[in-house]
Amino acid sequence: MASTSTAAGSSKPSTPVNVKLLLIGNSSVGKSSLLLRFSDEQWLPEDESSATIGVDFRVHKMDVKGKKVKLSIWDTAGQERFRTITSSYYRGAQGIILVYDVSNRETFDALPRWFSELETYVSDAVVKIIVGNKVDKEFSRQVSFTEGQQFATRMNCLFIEASAKTAVGVRDAFQEVVTKILDTPELWQPVTQKPKSSSSSAGGQNQTMPGSVNLHDEGGAEEAGGGCMC
Amino acid sequence: MPSELPYAADAEESLSYDELQVLRRQYEKEVAQSHVTVQTTFNFAWGLVKSPVKDDQVEGVKLLGELYRNEPARRRECLYYLALGHYKLGNYEQARRFNDLLLGKEPTNLQAQSLASLIERKVTQEGYIGMAIAGGAAALGTILLAAIIRRAHK
Ligand SMILES: Nc1nc2c(ncn2[C@@H]2O[C@H](COP(=O)(O)OP(=O)(O)OP(=O)(O)O)[C@@H](O)[C@H]2O)c(=O)[nH]1
Ligand SMILES: [Mg+2]
Repeated sequence: MASTSTAAGSSKPSTPVNVKLLLIGNSSVGKSSLLLRFSDEQWLPEDESSATIGVDFRVHKMDVKGKKVKLSIWDTAGQERFRTITSSYYRGAQGIILVYDVSNRETFDALPRWFSELETYVSDAVVKIIVGNKVDKEFSRQVSFTEGQQFATRMNCLFIEASAKTAVGVRDAFQEVVTKILDTPELWQPVTQKPKSSSSSAGGQNQTMPGSVNLHDEGGAEEAGGGCMC
Repeated sequence: MPSELPYAADAEESLSYDELQVLRRQYEKEVAQSHVTVQTTFNFAWGLVKSPVKDDQVEGVKLLGELYRNEPARRRECLYYLALGHYKLGNYEQARRFNDLLLGKEPTNLQAQSLASLIERKVTQEGYIGMAIAGGAAALGTILLAAIIRRAHK
């Protein structure tokens, strides 16, 4: 894929920036529901949704800060039995969405475990947001907004409360992560480490290969990791 | 805006060689100790099914088939990855059969729905030729499997 065609014209419709997001958190907190709400504006009735098997995936395009962004969102299974296999999906993620259920304290108390897993698999620069889901269940809330927010501040990540059921906060959650990722160019514009786009056919984008040097031009940044995995 | 394509995540991404080796070593270690856990077998089978190597996929499908028979509690995920494994091997009929079983249990399962449309697309794409090949491959798979099982029981 040649970068020459898009490099010059700054106002041309640019190739989208590829962003990989990962949804993690205990089973049943509503990760898949949040994703379905965000990407399809849908809501499955409580008894019709099913626990994720291994990992699920969706592509979604959006415009953020005048940039076209192509999101690939990986929705992992929270069930313990899948833990070993889902961890292999962290590779190359630029944003992590950690979800808990505000009406279930256990899922909030599990967050530190998710953070220690994160430490193992992703770099510090990766953008993280904690989402307290199911705020529509205000009557059975077990974790207060303040408590959630304080924890997020301590872990140095973004925080929002949401409901996949009513759609409250869902768009904002994704929007905030992506905005912060775009504000962190080294996440999607790895000037010195980016493998040249010609190698993007090899599968995963965003896999930085140590040692591959790239004299990167500004315009080409628009197509960081130009490879499409689907 | 709805997301564009149906996509079964595990259909494309494969593990690195090292990652698969970790799963393989754990499995072999447990085989050597003659105590293989369901989790280890499942993890290894999953890694094999995701592999781009045909032989790995065949072995993964075989392990999943055994798990499916022996571990009723794990049937749900075995069905999904059995369907996926057969899909990757080009055995679309088999893939559809396992995926339909899962859809029968969970009609609204989005992953199974997504895999179903991938299967249908392949089938229409490759048409009758594809079906013929798939049939052949399935038959070959069965023969292979029989051979493996026979050897294992010697
Ligand atoms: N009231 C309410 N229920 C929700 C909300 N989000 C999800 N649920 C319900 O919670 C249950 C679990 O939702 P899922 O989206 O499948 O949870 P998950 O985190 O993907 O679970 P795993 O795939 O097992 O990790 C389902 O019955 C959903 O209908 C919400 O915002 N409000
Ligand atoms: Mg899920």
